[in-house]
Amino acid sequence: MAALSTSEQIAFHRGTTLDGRPLTVKDRENMLKPFLPPTPSTETPSPVTSPSPPVRKPAKKSRKPKPMRSFLASQLHLLVYTIIHTIFSVWFRFRRAWHAVVHRFFALLYYHHRTPEYIQKDVRNLGKLPEHLSVILELNESDDEQGNAGLEGLLNDVCEITAWCACAGIPLLSIYERTGVLKNCIPQTHRSISQTLESYFGVSRKPSLSVRAPHLPSFSPPTTPPTSSRPSSPSSSTTLISQPHITVLLLSANDGRNTMVDLTKTLAEMAQKQVLDPGNITAELIDVELKEGVCGEPELLVLFSPRVELKGYPPWQVRLTEIYHVPDNKGVNYQVFVRALHNYAKAQMRFGR
Amino acid sequence: MSDSFHNSKIRKWFASSPPVKWGMRQLRELLIGALRQGPIPQHVAFVMDGNRRFARSHKIETVEGHNLGFEALARILEVCYKSGVKVVTIYAFSIENFKRSKYEVDALMEMAKTKLCQLAQHGALLDRYGAAIRILGQRELVKPDVLEAIDKAVLLTQKNKRAILNVCFPYTSRDEITTAVRKTVIAYSKPHPPPLKRPFSETHITRNIRAQLLSTVPEDAPPQDQGSRPASPSSSKELNPSDIEHSSAASTLMNHSDKSEATPAMTYPDPENITAATLTSNMFTSDAPPLDLLVRTSGVERLSDFMLWQCHQSTSIVFLDCLWPEFDLWYFLPVLVEWQWQKKKLEERERGRLRYKLD
Repeated sequence: MAALSTSEQIAFHRGTTLDGRPLTVKDRENMLKPFLPPTPSTETPSPVTSPSPPVRKPAKKSRKPKPMRSFLASQLHLLVYTIIHTIFSVWFRFRRAWHAVVHRFFALLYYHHRTPEYIQKDVRNLGKLPEHLSVILELNESDDEQGNAGLEGLLNDVCEITAWCACAGIPLLSIYERTGVLKNCIPQTHRSISQTLESYFGVSRKPSLSVRAPHLPSFSPPTTPPTSSRPSSPSSSTTLISQPHITVLLLSANDGRNTMVDLTKTLAEMAQKQVLDPGNITAELIDVELKEGVCGEPELLVLFSPRVELKGYPPWQVRLTEIYHVPDNKGVNYQVFVRALHNYAKAQMRFGR
Repeated sequence: MSDSFHNSKIRKWFASSPPVKWGMRQLRELLIGALRQGPIPQHVAFVMDGNRRFARSHKIETVEGHNLGFEALARILEVCYKSGVKVVTIYAFSIENFKRSKYEVDALMEMAKTKLCQLAQHGALLDRYGAAIRILGQRELVKPDVLEAIDKAVLLTQKNKRAILNVCFPYTSRDEITTAVRKTVIAYSKPHPPPLKRPFSETHITRNIRAQLLSTVPEDAPPQDQGSRPASPSSSKELNPSDIEHSSAASTLMNHSDKSEATPAMTYPDPENITAATLTSNMFTSDAPPLDLLVRTSGVERLSDFMLWQCHQSTSIVFLDCLWPEFDLWYFLPVLVEWQWQKKKLEERERGRLRYKLD
């Protein structure tokens, strides 16, 4: 929509006029005049008056602030604002409905039926899979429409996502939840995830699981009886099929800015004791510390919220992370997960199998 | 190809005819004026992505693509400042971009030189909207001649107070965070200046206090005294419990001063006082309001090392499919309206919650 004439365009690009003469200050100001807002002294060209300029009181006009006109203008703006918002609110609702239909459609196409084979089929022809997938979940206090409120709902989501990742073959899943309630009950989390994995894979083929959180000891109980009985025959065929391992990393808002603050405190203390020269603080140092302390960079971040908002997700780690969200989506869905993986692999979604 | 070229020519001719031009400008004014009626984000950041792809798809030179990108920037800055945005942050050049071809890097630098001056000149866009340029990033990586030019631009707009244009010049967010951490550490590793000598002696004051306490104690002390003795029998030879308390508080103080005596007259600020706010105030964007909106064009859904610290709380991040040179009010308007809409929703919900709490 750049309504620039050629001479203006040339001036803009090269700083010269049409015939190559360098632009003087005066030229430039003249050229820019129509594009700039009026300086307070000059009069506003308003659509209401310019066709037939009233000739009655020209002297008064340039001086007075014209309360009537500015009042009318603000009323007009308010009207347009209301109109725009009405139109857009209709549009947003329509869009949400449309997206809901699309989501239903995808949900019908892609459903896991709690069977690893279906999930593996969905991701089989993807060029690449993330090594480290991250999701942001929310603890719904009392959401009556979703039916997944509270800790139980959250835990349920965690279990499902972990199972999908295990099926797809993603070895590291980090789950960000702002409050960090899950960190307080890692053993329970581990137990319910194991149960879910069992219901997906069956007792004998269940992948091993470890649940950990930054600055807390990793929770991976000694391998469960069926798996411990297996490794007696470490032939290549069995190791390929058996023993996939999945690590679940629980993150909370504390692992974001606060961890960086803690690191700064430690560094400051070291500097005070003169064991560290502040000049030695480099991005590499911080990166190594945070990688060991919290986690590395996830390759893919999946949001199940209707829009992109990071809500305190660790800032250092999201540098190059692909952020995926489905507009207007609400709640954890298998189809969102699959679409995120497809999007990550830049694969076209194939309708049908 | 020729057909589309012809079409675009006609369109251009049509768009540049005076009545259409005038009408468009009035429409823009009207829409911007209308937007002003609602809440407006105070701080908006743009990742100007897609210049090269635009150039490739339109079969023009890369540098020309960047030029068109700059025009888009000028347009969008106008929209932002007119509608009341206080701070605009743009990702002009990443430290990683130095890895591009030398030809392109040089061209970009040259562009930065001329364009920043153009923006800053008297009577030009920034001046008219009262916006000051700030350059965020690693200055050491820029060649001296470019540095001189951008410093001139910064100086020219220094007096403008109404708005700010942050140009992230050779910038990455990790570098920014590292710099902030380093600055904080340096600030905290500077010892306090040695305390001034005051004309009162502390020992003298303690002795006076003790004398006062001793003279007041005998009337009401005995029952208290008995009560507290068994709890701390070995504490000290001092007579009254209030003094014990006092001395314990004093002993921590004493310890502290012991430590500072070991390294003569060096007291450091306590690192425990470092908070996220300390780091925030050491970021390049310390004086800007929190980031409300981050827009990235060209459909890439990554932050690419931009505003990591600033945007990870409640910033709405919007990824648009259009390429940056195409970006204009018509793409920005829906984003802004949606932002306003969500803002209103949020406020309504807050109000509802408040009412719920009050009931």
